[in-house]
Amino acid sequence: MTLKTLPPISRSTEKFSLKNFFHSIWRQRWLYFLMMPTLIYFAIFKYGPLWNAQIAFKDFKPLLGVMGSPWVGFQHFETFVNSFYFTDLLTNTVFFSLAKLILGMPLAIVCAIALHETWFLRYRTFVQTVIYLPHFLSWVIMFGVLLVILSPGNGLLNAIIEQFGGDPIPFLTSPNHFRWVVIFSDIWKETGWSTILYLAALLAISPDLYEAAAVDGATPLQRIWHISIPGIIPVIVLVTLLRMGNILDAGFNQIFVLYSVPVYSVGDIIDTWVYRQGVLQFQFSLATAVGFFKGVIGLVLILISNQIAKRVAQQSLF
Amino acid sequence: MKSWKMIFIVCLLVVSQVLASCAPAATPTEEPAATEAPAEPTVEPSPTTPPEPVDIVLWAQATVTEAGAPPDDWVAYDIIREELNINLTYVIVPTGADGEAKINAAAAANDLPDLFQMVSANNDNRGALLRLVDLGLMAPVGDMMPLMPERVKLHYNDQLALDLVTFYGEQYGLPEPPPIPKREGLVIRKDWLDKLGLDVPTTPEELFAVAEAFTTQDPDGNGKNDTYGFGGFLNGEGLGTRFDFIMGAYGVPGVWNFTGNGDFGLNVRSENYPEALAYFKSLVDAKVIDPDWPTLTRDDFRARWKQGSFGIMWEDFAALTNKSNYEPFDTNFPDAEWIPVAAPTGPDGDTYYGVYTGRGQIFGVSQKAADDGKKEAIARLLEWMATDGYYLLGFGEEGVNFIIDDNGNISTEGLDPVQAYTAPERQPYTQMRNQLIFYNSEQEIVARYPTYETIAGRLMDPMAFLGFFQNEPWVDGRGIQVILPPANAADFNRYYTEGLIQFVLGQKELNDETWAEYLAGLDSLGAADYEAAAQQSLIDAGLLK
Repeated sequence: MTLKTLPPISRSTEKFSLKNFFHSIWRQRWLYFLMMPTLIYFAIFKYGPLWNAQIAFKDFKPLLGVMGSPWVGFQHFETFVNSFYFTDLLTNTVFFSLAKLILGMPLAIVCAIALHETWFLRYRTFVQTVIYLPHFLSWVIMFGVLLVILSPGNGLLNAIIEQFGGDPIPFLTSPNHFRWVVIFSDIWKETGWSTILYLAALLAISPDLYEAAAVDGATPLQRIWHISIPGIIPVIVLVTLLRMGNILDAGFNQIFVLYSVPVYSVGDIIDTWVYRQGVLQFQFSLATAVGFFKGVIGLVLILISNQIAKRVAQQSLF
Repeated sequence: MKSWKMIFIVCLLVVSQVLASCAPAATPTEEPAATEAPAEPTVEPSPTTPPEPVDIVLWAQATVTEAGAPPDDWVAYDIIREELNINLTYVIVPTGADGEAKINAAAAANDLPDLFQMVSANNDNRGALLRLVDLGLMAPVGDMMPLMPERVKLHYNDQLALDLVTFYGEQYGLPEPPPIPKREGLVIRKDWLDKLGLDVPTTPEELFAVAEAFTTQDPDGNGKNDTYGFGGFLNGEGLGTRFDFIMGAYGVPGVWNFTGNGDFGLNVRSENYPEALAYFKSLVDAKVIDPDWPTLTRDDFRARWKQGSFGIMWEDFAALTNKSNYEPFDTNFPDAEWIPVAAPTGPDGDTYYGVYTGRGQIFGVSQKAADDGKKEAIARLLEWMATDGYYLLGFGEEGVNFIIDDNGNISTEGLDPVQAYTAPERQPYTQMRNQLIFYNSEQEIVARYPTYETIAGRLMDPMAFLGFFQNEPWVDGRGIQVILPPANAADFNRYYTEGLIQFVLGQKELNDETWAEYLAGLDSLGAADYEAAAQQSLIDAGLLK
């Protein structure tokens, strides 16, 4: 059985000429026109602000503006790297990112495969709706729900624990439990939404392959293992690579809402520190420097991961 | 071809939507662009043409956050436009860190509003003002004072408050009168005490015993183990201000030692501090305090006492006793009764209720507004708020939303209850009252905190609670306003607060060795320098000798 892989992008061997270039654009003008909104969005909201990223190397003063503020070199990067909790922040951030990726992604794949294999259409629609729902709740609402479930005073889960003779567990204030609350609440909220991507990839696999495999006597598990999973590997690689680029984004909204002083040691991440030290203390240059730092790390990780994926799985972003 | 036309139209619509979303948010009035140089002097309008209205953008916090902003057709907007020739745009800013982040973002874009309230996550409004002054974004306001004589007399009459907003020889802030001082206090469920046959506690040990009884002896008699002795939540640095009565019993209330006993500095330097922490820890270990206290918000906490979850707490007198606030509790427990309790006396005879910081709201005028020549109009608006506009912005329209009775008191007697200024429906129309309008006159206080009967027919007098709280021994901590945060505030505050919480929750063992390590860690973060700078600031301000 051969794997279905994406067709390679053909590269023209013709010599580049400006005339050909413009001719090519003109020939596909409607496609480019369709792309316009996206290009404009990225130009305004993604590439335009990059100009202001120079304040990472300046002592930004609003009155002097971005251009007029004095250069200070790598001072803000040094401040961040030498900050008292730098190691803690980096560790917590990477931990949450990786844990969400490693535990969240397989679950989303399993969900997608399960939904794909379900024959009862109504049941599938119902399950899909139910598991998507938490994605649309804000983290503030989620915190309220979690408090009702996890509160050591009158939480549902602790009531059950007490019923079985155990002591209540302060899930939200105990450093031993808080990390798991963060990870599992994220999985609960986002797994359903993540399944959309994998489900779409599964639906794109030709039914002929499944039918041929069934005729050849393949069991459902064998069909999943030999057709479904290989069929979505390009998407898995793509998602993993993109997530590697955001490895230092551990979910500001979630942590900001859920964390409290007793769990700072295991819950404080780079973004929450930036909020306290950068935004609230009016150190926007420092905040930008940290953003820059995160971007560079993310870029390096994407490049490395892309090379690894190319060699190991013969799949890559570029 | 038809399909291409459709695609073209769809794309056009999408592009126009994107471009529209990129455009600046529409505002009722166009704001002038920021200029680095002062604007040219405005040309006096000729006597025959009416002068152009001045656009003023005001950012202030809400008095009732859940009530929302006044509607666009609010009569006050029309009156301000007609009488003062001002187009007012009133924007409600969030409280705490969210509000500070919003103002900082506007400052970073050099787009501060004309008149705005300082907001600080740590209630350090003065520090927030100074930071903006140092950035050159604030205008001196001393020259506005003669333009609003009545407001100065009623609002800006505290010399210390004025000194605190004066930097580099210029007054930059408009210090509104602080809220009613010393308005929070310790209260206990008297009905629970009576049911269990207990006396009002007077020492930490007695407090512990009562809290334990409230937790274990089913004081509400519902047959369930669902009550706690203490309730509270974390606010501010360290253990916050809600447990200062406990720390006060050991002579160490608040972050700084303003008691006059011993040298000025951080209270954690005191030998008594670990003892106070050990007592607090004993409450946590014995599970006589609501275990959710480290994660609760103020609203969560208030919802819990209204549900009868605990019997001892520190609360604001109005949040507890005002009719609209007390009503849900009264409905749930008509026979219940909260009574104020005096500060407990510690083992060495120390007794402090809390730390009075005297912090009030501070408003400021942006340099951009001054460059645009708006200071005179802002002064005109503020003066009007303290004179002709006072009742309209504080209570509503006379005869519709309030009346003034024969004794000169503000009343709602005979008015449609929905239109009365006390009705929840009217709250959006008086959102400015606590920030810019009220100045704690006797008439205001009587109007704001009337006595009433509870469901069980008991007389509830909010002012009696306030009087009790104010007569307790408070530490004068007004000097805290001149203490500026250290450069590494995020790290310092985290270490300071996290360490104390870890000791109290038992995450870190509390003994001489660990305490010494904690203090050494503080020093490694520059605690000694911070203390020295704080001391010098206090000396410079004449608040410490």
